[in-house]
Amino acid sequence: MDRLKLLDQYNSAADIWDEMYDKQQIRDHYSKVFTSLEQFDVSALQQKDRLAGELFMNQGITFTVYSDDAGIERIFPFDIIPRIITGKEWEHIELGIKQRLKALNMFLKDIYNDQQILKDKVVPASLVASCPHYTRDVFGIKVPHDIYVHISGIDLIRGEDGLFYVLEDNLRTPSGVSYMLENREVTKRIFPELLAANHVRRVSNYPLLLHEILLQMAPTQLSNPTVVLLTPGIYNSAYYEHTFLARQMGITLVEGRDLVVDHHKVYMKTTDGLEQVHVIYRRIDDEFLDPLLFRPDSALGVPGLMNAYRKGNVAIINAMGNGVADDKAVYAYVPAMIKYYLNEDPILPNVPTYELHDPAVRKYVFDNIEKMVIKQTNQSGGYGMIMGNKVSAEDWEKAKVAIETDPRSFIAQPIIKLSTVPCFIDGTFQARHVDLRPYALCGPQGVQIVPGGLTRVALRKDSLIVNSSQGGGSKDTWVID
Amino acid sequence: MLSRIADSLFWLARYMERAEGLLRVTSTHYILSLDKDVNGPLTWKPVLETFTSCTDAEMDAIAHTTGDALKKLLTDNTNHNSLKVIITKARENARGIQDYITKEVWEEVNSFYHLIHQPSLDKRLSNFEAADILDLFTRHSVLYTGITDITMARGIGWGFMNLGKYIERCLETIILTNKQYQRINYRMDEIKDIMLWRHLLMSLSGYELHLKTYRSSLYNHDVLHQVSFNEDFPHSVVYSLGRIDRHLQDVTRKNSSEDMAALMRCFGRLFSKVKNTDLDVLNNDNLQQYLEDLRNDLLYFTTLLSQKFFSYA
Repeated sequence: MDRLKLLDQYNSAADIWDEMYDKQQIRDHYSKVFTSLEQFDVSALQQKDRLAGELFMNQGITFTVYSDDAGIERIFPFDIIPRIITGKEWEHIELGIKQRLKALNMFLKDIYNDQQILKDKVVPASLVASCPHYTRDVFGIKVPHDIYVHISGIDLIRGEDGLFYVLEDNLRTPSGVSYMLENREVTKRIFPELLAANHVRRVSNYPLLLHEILLQMAPTQLSNPTVVLLTPGIYNSAYYEHTFLARQMGITLVEGRDLVVDHHKVYMKTTDGLEQVHVIYRRIDDEFLDPLLFRPDSALGVPGLMNAYRKGNVAIINAMGNGVADDKAVYAYVPAMIKYYLNEDPILPNVPTYELHDPAVRKYVFDNIEKMVIKQTNQSGGYGMIMGNKVSAEDWEKAKVAIETDPRSFIAQPIIKLSTVPCFIDGTFQARHVDLRPYALCGPQGVQIVPGGLTRVALRKDSLIVNSSQGGGSKDTWVID
Repeated sequence: MLSRIADSLFWLARYMERAEGLLRVTSTHYILSLDKDVNGPLTWKPVLETFTSCTDAEMDAIAHTTGDALKKLLTDNTNHNSLKVIITKARENARGIQDYITKEVWEEVNSFYHLIHQPSLDKRLSNFEAADILDLFTRHSVLYTGITDITMARGIGWGFMNLGKYIERCLETIILTNKQYQRINYRMDEIKDIMLWRHLLMSLSGYELHLKTYRSSLYNHDVLHQVSFNEDFPHSVVYSLGRIDRHLQDVTRKNSSEDMAALMRCFGRLFSKVKNTDLDVLNNDNLQQYLEDLRNDLLYFTTLLSQKFFSYA
């Protein structure tokens, strides 16, 4: 069989940063992997690709596609070629994320207590007041160690200039960490020799770090607090991740119907009666948590949970009301927050963001729409996005009306060509766009980030949208020294 | 342990035991159907009556076509008791308790599920590949039992799994036995050919034990003794009840409420009824009643058990 001539076929574009190839040669940190990959023939790589698929399938790391009443199980697409980041790049990312999380935690404490940042007019009060995720019900509640964001998945992208930018802050219930861990386990099976030769930093201690933080959040000094993971149930698309984390941490996975609140304390229903719960790592959105306070039709939550939280009898992780800090319009003010609370310059820059309530800005955006992407501030997962260079005239006219009517719900950003990496697609190596989501954990001892994170990849040719709901897949991410 | 988890463990084990029973009966019947029976070609009707809720007309339509009957029993989505539906339910239960069961158990249930959802299966069942497929499924079923035994922790959850498993097994033995004796009108005194009992004994994996243990030609008595009172036979009623007794003690050990005492008494009555019955008193007139009473008592105990332990929603 043919050996792969990687570069002969590799199609990285001239105006885009490629992670492997700098237009003249292979970057140093990719050279070992590159040389090894050239040793494989196509059928060997295809065999590895199949094996990876089987490993995901057998472990049940799948989601269900429903068509004509028969559910078909699919795996989340996984590309076998790892994405590599150097130790030096990683130090920079790590510092930047730590700084950002410190500021965001201070912002959340401020915004739900003294609101000093609003009084000093650094962030406009109207912006916060109009944010649907600003939760008045948690105003004044003291949270353990003043930590609101225990778990975050901040999305980074690398632009044409080779710099990392923050694309969005996911501070509510970021998912995907199980893929980061499983991708590595699968790589260990398909490329053991490559992993061993490159001295890749390990990620497998993430669940242990998380467990430690959850234990430290117990509201009272207990020698053995009960920690649970609250899941919406088996039909949730991230259910595999919930079971994975519960198993890796050795904590109980509960659904809302397993819990009950009595006298402002939370209990789980066991075969021996009720047992008190002290810490809830919830994977349910705020609005479903307590039907007495938020959505009365929610069957996923626990009635009375909010009262137990307010009394300090149970810790909820991440804290409630965090959505105000990762709103896409509030995002534009994070550099200002860093300056305000820490008196530092941001280490990781934001992507320039245009708020659309100002008619002059709006006009500028509308005039340059082919270079812009419009996002809805309250949407995630790649939904409600308008790529200015692809949108049809008719859809754009409709969108314009929507923006004019409610400018607060939209922002605009210049389209950034995400960096590309080689992917093994249809028996060849092809360049595809990627982002990077490192998972940071924030505890009383500070912020810890396992080296790497989840690299999401837009598997459709020329697509810039990496979300799994929009044809995205993932890759193992290596930090090497 | 969470009541929901206990409930799912109980049902995971029940469904997997039911799948194994269904597979054994189907395999046995399939193999025997290839020979001509004493009374003409073997019909699938008794198996369909036991494992499906088909109407008489539906049954008559497929009872003499092996491929169709197999599809009904194994892969038909509309049959609530087909292997496919049972395994799907087992997997759904396993999925809800993935953090509690071991990775190995989950992967086995999951791969069984994917196996039975292969689209090519129906075609292969009609193509004389049925024996291979039944063997493969049976292997997975046995593998599940082994993996569970080797990897699952012996805590309270193990107790609930075994309660589910042995309640299901005991019910299956009672139902199959009843069905077989019904065919000879519960006539204990009539001497019959061992060949007629082969179906029941092989379906319960007890044929070899029977040949080794029983020397008389009073087959009708001997078989009843084996399936009801033989303590060494792992599919007998008394063996299954003995296991239930043991695991019931495990799960109630920490709980001394009056509710639990009532549950124990309910089971005690059932168990002593079997232990203290003489084979000789069972005759043409009372055998059917005896078997039906046993089944109803066991079902009542199961209802009580789920009320005490699994009320959470």
